[in-house]
This record gives sequence, structure tokens and C-alpha cells, in this order.
Amino acid sequence: MILLASKEEIFTNKIFLCAALPLVKVIAMDSPKLAKKFEHTHKVIQVSAIDPESPEGKVATHFVINSGEWLVHADKVDKNPHIELEFKSVESMNAFFKGKIGPATLPKMRGLKNTGAFVAFMQVLLKMSALLGAKTPPEDEETKKLLVKCFFYLLSSGISTLNKQDHEDVHNWALKSPDRVYAWAVNGYPELSAYIRVKAGKSRAGRGEYKRAMPFFTLRFDSLNSALGILMSTDDMLEATKAGRLIMDGAPEFGAQIGEYMLTVAGYAQ
Amino acid sequence: MAGGLTYTAVESTALSTAEYYGKALCEIGKEHPEVVALTADLGKSTKIGMFGEAFPDRFFNVGIAEQNMFGVAAGMAKAGLVPFLSTFSTFASLRSADQLHTDICYQNVNAKIIATHSGTSFGQAGSTHHAICDFAVTRSLPNLTVICPADGMETVNAVRAAYETPGPFYIRINRGFDRVLYPNTDYGFEVGKAVTLHEGTDITVIACGSCAFQALQAANFLENSDGLKVRVLNMHTIKPIDREAIEKAVMDTRRIITVEDHTVLGGLGSAVAEVVVESGKGCGFKKLGIQDKFAPIGLHEDIMSILGIDSNGIVEAVREVMKKDFELDDNWDDEV
Repeated sequence: MILLASKEEIFTNKIFLCAALPLVKVIAMDSPKLAKKFEHTHKVIQVSAIDPESPEGKVATHFVINSGEWLVHADKVDKNPHIELEFKSVESMNAFFKGKIGPATLPKMRGLKNTGAFVAFMQVLLKMSALLGAKTPPEDEETKKLLVKCFFYLLSSGISTLNKQDHEDVHNWALKSPDRVYAWAVNGYPELSAYIRVKAGKSRAGRGEYKRAMPFFTLRFDSLNSALGILMSTDDMLEATKAGRLIMDGAPEFGAQIGEYMLTVAGYAQ
Repeated sequence: MAGGLTYTAVESTALSTAEYYGKALCEIGKEHPEVVALTADLGKSTKIGMFGEAFPDRFFNVGIAEQNMFGVAAGMAKAGLVPFLSTFSTFASLRSADQLHTDICYQNVNAKIIATHSGTSFGQAGSTHHAICDFAVTRSLPNLTVICPADGMETVNAVRAAYETPGPFYIRINRGFDRVLYPNTDYGFEVGKAVTLHEGTDITVIACGSCAFQALQAANFLENSDGLKVRVLNMHTIKPIDREAIEKAVMDTRRIITVEDHTVLGGLGSAVAEVVVESGKGCGFKKLGIQDKFAPIGLHEDIMSILGIDSNGIVEAVREVMKKDFELDDNWDDEV
């Protein structure tokens, strides 16, 4: 019997495919030690889940790695990857990435003969899991920066993904929106910034500072620790705003709105 | 009270910009004996006659001879007096253009021209009395500071600033029925610095004169009806223009609409466009004003509505510009 995935499972899955898994590239390239492991790699590595509803019979995100250069193809299936982690269903994939690891959720692994690339890829996946699943902020500044950057990318891509998947609240918001840019930033660390451009139902997640103009609204943190406080839910948005840890560049009602969609993405990803 | 059928007599007194001008000039005259006033037989209409009643020895009616008035004023200024001269804007900028150019601006004398009945505010008097190109003429003249106050209080500030600042000034006010924008003069008026009437990061409406009130109304309406955050700048000084405020508007809002009771050729819109182009940054842009034609004859409010420079016209223009793309590409793929 084929069970069709619920709408909520599909949203969760799309967040993993389009917003979370692409962070593998960010993490692999952030650490010179990890990056070195892919220096001589020429492989296609895919993470997929069987999905009878999809025309290709599965959903996937794959990475094309050539001499240390990564290309991410989010929510796109490669028919003949060199290495593949294939989950038996969308639900299994979701459960695995939410930390429910067990016999029912473990993926099939193909291409194990490519030992070096496989091991390196798994190391990146494990690092990502440890980083995003941590309950307390990291100690060192470099890891803090990486985590903030990953969260910003996850949120901007996550909100854009939900819009493109016709998530009712997010898509209705995007439909009504004139051409606007919402950004996330930490003072003194412009390289960590991310943004989302929204216009009449369309959206695009972008990385780095939006330089075309001042964003319509920026959720700006005064420090890495302040950012992690909100992103890891150990701080309260109102309290942080009052104390100046969180600065809303723009009308506060838009801060509340984008904050709500951040929580929606977090709800699907955790 | 031509042009004011929608106002009561009591309201019209409060709304009369020219009345504020007359009173302000009298106050300055009380403290500064070097201030003199000149008219070309329009003392009552332009309200400079109030100065004549208070200081008859310092008031000169040269008759219907505007060019002569400019020459006389230039001579008085050269002799150390501070002449304020008033006539209708169209006469000050066109009929007396040569004298304004050569006697006042070229000599860089300390004369203050308070031009009334500007734009289409003298609606029923007809197109011959509409001053639709005075910005274009005056802002191209070296040494001349050009100001277009939004209401009575701003007129008081502009007249005081004109007295306090050496050099020729051209202050353009309406026939006298502007809506009240400022309850008093303490809002930080500074020559060459725009006043932010409404904050916003979606789009900036830059207006001057009577259009500033209309822009503010449009911004309030759009916030409630469309959820749009419209920045409104009262660009009271046309020259020197507030480059910083315009460049900031380009960066912050990426879309600009200018609104003026003047032709769109050579006025506020052109001045703003020059800054935008020189900034090297593109933005959605639209100029509201008189679109290279003569304005119809009628009540000022009706003319503003026909020209699309009232609040409804501004609302429509904002909605139109908000639909324009400001990005070079149309790539909506998420970055990964």
C-alpha cells in the first residue's frame, strides 16, 4: 500500500531539500580541513527519498563536486549519482533529519566504493547535524559565525521555499507584498548576512548583504551571541529588542511578521 | 474668495499663506530699518501692502512696471538696503526675467523676491496668470536661492531665512489658500534641507508647495489601505536642492515620485532627477506635475485633481510605480 505524504510532511521535506541540505556546501567550504578532503573529488553525491507522487519516483538534492568546487542542485534528482543516501520515504527522511535515527529511518547507501568521498561527505553531514542540533551556543567565534550564517541561510531559503510550495500564510503574505527585501544581519559581520526578496507572490533567497538598496526591513543583531540567543530560542525577541540586542531596521510590525515566518521554518526544520 | 468654495471665511483666514508672509515681513521690518518693500501695483493682492501700511516711508509702488521694480530693487540693495519685492510669480519669472538675470542675480545683490499666485493657484484668472515654469527659469540663474514653502508657517520661516541669508532669494507662494501642514514654525526649517513629513522604506514622494500636504495625505491613506510605507519629503528648497536626502531616498526606497504645481520640465522633478542620475544608482521614478501643456482654467483644487497632483493622483502614481521592477534581472531562483 502506498501512503501519500501529508501537506505538513511535504513542507518539512522541502525545507530539508531546499534550505537545510544546501548548507552542506557552506559547512564543507567553511573549514579548510573539510574543504581539503574534496580537493580531488569529481563526484555527484545525492540525498534522496522515495516519493511515489513525484514524476521521477523520488525527491532529492544533489551536489556536483569538482576539484573542491561545489554546485548544489536543490530539489533536483540526478539519475546516476556516484554516491547516494536514499531514504525509503519522505517521512523517513524527515524523521532522520529531525534526529530520529533508527532502523526505520536509516537510508540505503549506494556507491560506498567511493570511500574517500563518501566518508568526507558523511563527516560534513554529521558536522551539520551537530551544529544545527546543538542546544547551547558554541564557544569559539569561528563556529559561532558559521552557525549564525547557517541559520540566516536556512531562514531566508526556508521562507522562500514555503512561499514557492504555496504554504498558505507565507504565500498569501508574499502575494500581497510589493517588491521588498527583508534581511538578517549581525553588526560587524556583513559576510554572515542573508536576505529574501519578495514581490507579488515571487521570492528569492539571497546570501550576503543586499547591496542594490537598503532592505525594506532588517533584523539586525548587535553581536554573535545576541543572534544565537534568538536563533537558538534561548532569548526572547521582545526582551532582546528592549535591551538593544536585536535592532529592527524598519517598521516593528514587519519584524513581528518575519519573526512569525522564522518560527514557521524552525517548526518544520526541528 | 475665488478658488476657495470648499472653505469657510474663517478657515480661509487661517489658511492664507500670503497673510503670514505680510505679517512676517512687518515683524522683520520692525526690527530692521534697512528692510524696504516694493510692489508693481499689486500691494493688496500680494499682501506686501501690509508692510506699506506699517511703514509707509519704506514702501514703494512702482506702478505696473515689473522690470523697473527689479532694477530699482537692485539699486537699493547696492545702496545697503534689503528690498523685498512682490508680484505674481509669472511676472517675476518671465516678464522681469532679464532684470532678474542681470540686475539681481548677476550683481548677486541682497534682494528678496516673494512671488505670489504661483503654480495654478490663481486658477480662475486663467493660463496667462498661471506660473507654471518659474522654477525652470529661476533655478537656472546663478546665485539665486529658490524656495517653495508648503504653508503659512513655512512661509514665515522662509521669509526670515531670506532676510538672514545674504544674496538673492526667490520665494514662491500660492494665492493664499494652502492647507495647514505645520501648526507653528518650530519644526527645524533649514534652507536646503528637506523636511521628512512621513517615514517609509517602500517609496519616497518628494513634493513642494501645496503638493506637500497632498503627498502626506496620500501616504497616510496608502499606509491604511495598501500597507505601504511611503516616505514623504517636503522639498521646500528647490535650489540648492537637498542632494543628501535624495540620495538617501534612492538607497532606502529605490522608488521616487516628485510632485509639483509646475511643469515637469525643469522644475522640482528635473532637479531631483539630476541628483538621481548623478548618484549612479537607478530607481523607479515618476514626475507628477503639468505635463508639457497649459493648465486648464478653474478652481485650484479642481486643477490639481485634473493634473493628478492631488492626493488621489499621488495614490494612483504610487501604486503604478510600486509595480515597476528595480532589479536588472528577473531571477527568482534561491541562492544555494
